[in-house]
Amino acid sequence: MRIAAGVDVGSTQTKAVVMAENGGREILARALVDTGANVRKAAENAFLAACHSAGIATPEVGFVVGTGYGRYNISFGNTQMTEISCHARGAHFVYPSTRTVIDMGGQDSKAISVGGDGQVMDFVMNDKCAAGTGRFLANAADVMGIGLDEIGPLSLRASRPVRITTVCTVFVESDILSYLAQGKKAEDILGGVHLAIAKRTLSLARRVPIEPQITMTGGVARNSGMVRALEEVLGTTMQISPDAHFMGAIGAAVFALEKMDQSFESSTWRPEHAAGSGH
Amino acid sequence: MADVRHTEYRGNIHQLQKELMQKWYERLNQAAETGTPHTASLMISGNCVELLEAFGVVPIYPEVNALQLAIRHQSLDPILAAEEIGYAADNCAYVKADIGCYLKGITPTGGKLPKPSLVLCNFVGCNTYVKWFEHTAVLTGSRLYVLDVPFLRLDEPSRDDIDYVVRQLKELVTILENITGKKFDYDRFVQAVRCSAQVEELWSQIKHLARRSPSPFDAYFDAITLMGPLYVYRATPEGLNFFRAALDEMQAKVAAGQGVFDQEKFRLVIEGPPPYPFFRTFRDMFAKWKACTVASTYSTVGGLWEFGARHDPDHPFESVAMHMLAQNVTNRNFLQRYEQIGRYVKDWNADGLIIHFVKSCRLFSAGQGDMRDYATRTLGIPTLYIESDLEDPRYFAEAQTRNRIDAFFEALEHSKMTATAV
Ligand code: SF4
Repeated sequence: MRIAAGVDVGSTQTKAVVMAENGGREILARALVDTGANVRKAAENAFLAACHSAGIATPEVGFVVGTGYGRYNISFGNTQMTEISCHARGAHFVYPSTRTVIDMGGQDSKAISVGGDGQVMDFVMNDKCAAGTGRFLANAADVMGIGLDEIGPLSLRASRPVRITTVCTVFVESDILSYLAQGKKAEDILGGVHLAIAKRTLSLARRVPIEPQITMTGGVARNSGMVRALEEVLGTTMQISPDAHFMGAIGAAVFALEKMDQSFESSTWRPEHAAGSGH
Repeated sequence: MADVRHTEYRGNIHQLQKELMQKWYERLNQAAETGTPHTASLMISGNCVELLEAFGVVPIYPEVNALQLAIRHQSLDPILAAEEIGYAADNCAYVKADIGCYLKGITPTGGKLPKPSLVLCNFVGCNTYVKWFEHTAVLTGSRLYVLDVPFLRLDEPSRDDIDYVVRQLKELVTILENITGKKFDYDRFVQAVRCSAQVEELWSQIKHLARRSPSPFDAYFDAITLMGPLYVYRATPEGLNFFRAALDEMQAKVAAGQGVFDQEKFRLVIEGPPPYPFFRTFRDMFAKWKACTVASTYSTVGGLWEFGARHDPDHPFESVAMHMLAQNVTNRNFLQRYEQIGRYVKDWNADGLIIHFVKSCRLFSAGQGDMRDYATRTLGIPTLYIESDLEDPRYFAEAQTRNRIDAFFEALEHSKMTATAV
């Protein structure tokens, strides 16, 4: 049995997946930690936690691929790949019929056109500002004083969603405050917020061919309100795995298994890289 | 750490270029201190430097000054100075850097820049030029002359378009006579036009060398180095010598099988000006992947010579007018720009297209979303669209830009691998 891992260091959360190949490929364990200020440490912790929950010792991991914005800070990875490639490959691993990936994460959203073997055919990403990303939703939740996990389900109850005219993460605050002042219901405001993001994402995604099946990945896929709003504007359903926010790490692990074949180099993991070693 | 690879063209040309540009700045400094030689501010696109050369007037290119500042990481101060007096966030950052330099007395070299004897707005393609030069004239108190060059609506300019521009060029001759106190020397003008035609031929040959694999130079990053002498010295024997030396050097590299990379992995076409404040960083992002640019639209802002256009000493005025009207990328319509890119992809054998959208430049950037669609859907060429600015460092997000570039090459690498495997 060969074992490899993918570590996805995102702006808010770091995910690690340990995968085994033994005839087929199988996810042995996942781990999720907050990224925080120490990116290296977060990567190590996530990796160690995943190994621990898989019940394996770290030297058993033959190859590690790092992805996400903090990928170059992973001290023990063998190589790095962008999360664009990794999300496409991860989505294809979980749902081989995937031809389009819509990924919504903490600080960016992207649409990826995926080929038959999981390769990236084309992709578009949001502009460098946080308009239309998870950060926008988090900000809206903050302003309304509602937990991030609750805004999605609450938005599903909207009967008359308000019109949100901005997708600017900062300016949306004043839009929300003025609707609150007008006495609009929280669910209608949130309905409007989710719809605004969905429309923005659609206009982004239209720039790559949107072809079925569409798989949604990234942390925001856990938000049921966002899923519904997106499906509404897309006019179709999306494939959403319970592992949606691990998709980058899953793709990285798949690449790690593949790269293990191509490389004689063994993992650069060394005991001194373990958490607590002073990084 | 990211795998950073520094690669640049090494040879005599870059040294020679530095010396020539230094000499140019020294002449400008001399003009500032002594009042001679006469100078004229003008724009790079479709410039009429031949006419200035006929009078011994030295060109000042505000765009060159602005980009020099940006490369030296000095553009933000003058931009902020311009914003303080009311220029908006989305105004062209070249304009703001230039205006800010006048306000703060900054120059890229630390030397002085003269008050131009003439502010000559050769309005080609970008209407920002007109306002920019009006402001320059107000700030310097210099005389302003605006050359009105009609935009290219069809494939070719009409006879009336050409006559209209020629009439203005002749009016400009009278103005230059008044400013310099010299009689127009037609023979010297013809000589300048002849010189330009020869330089253009050499430049065109250099650009065609990039069709080889490996390409002996990067037709974006290295081409930019050669563009300074191309605009400042084109109509002079010094320019001619420089481009002869450049061609010789490139040909020698081709003969020796030397390229920008020992093993060129990707061949690119780049559209749009570079992010000058992060020029080095940006270049390294491509070097990491051993990706060499083989053609670029930006290097045709001054002139589209690789497709055969030349100044013509037998029709000097008409050919200067044609150059302004039709033979530079900025005055041409979008469909022509598409066609230009298509030709590069095919004839220069490129693997991908990079579109660099410049936030503050409407001329270059408007319509690039459609261009992306055209490239991916009609040409079927992998295309990457990235955004920042050519002058304003605040618009460059390094991690995001690197991420997009890496993802683009990961996909390109994969498709090349599978194509070879088939
Ligand atoms: S808007 Fe663009 S083309 Fe016009 S002056 Fe500015 S940089 Fe040049």
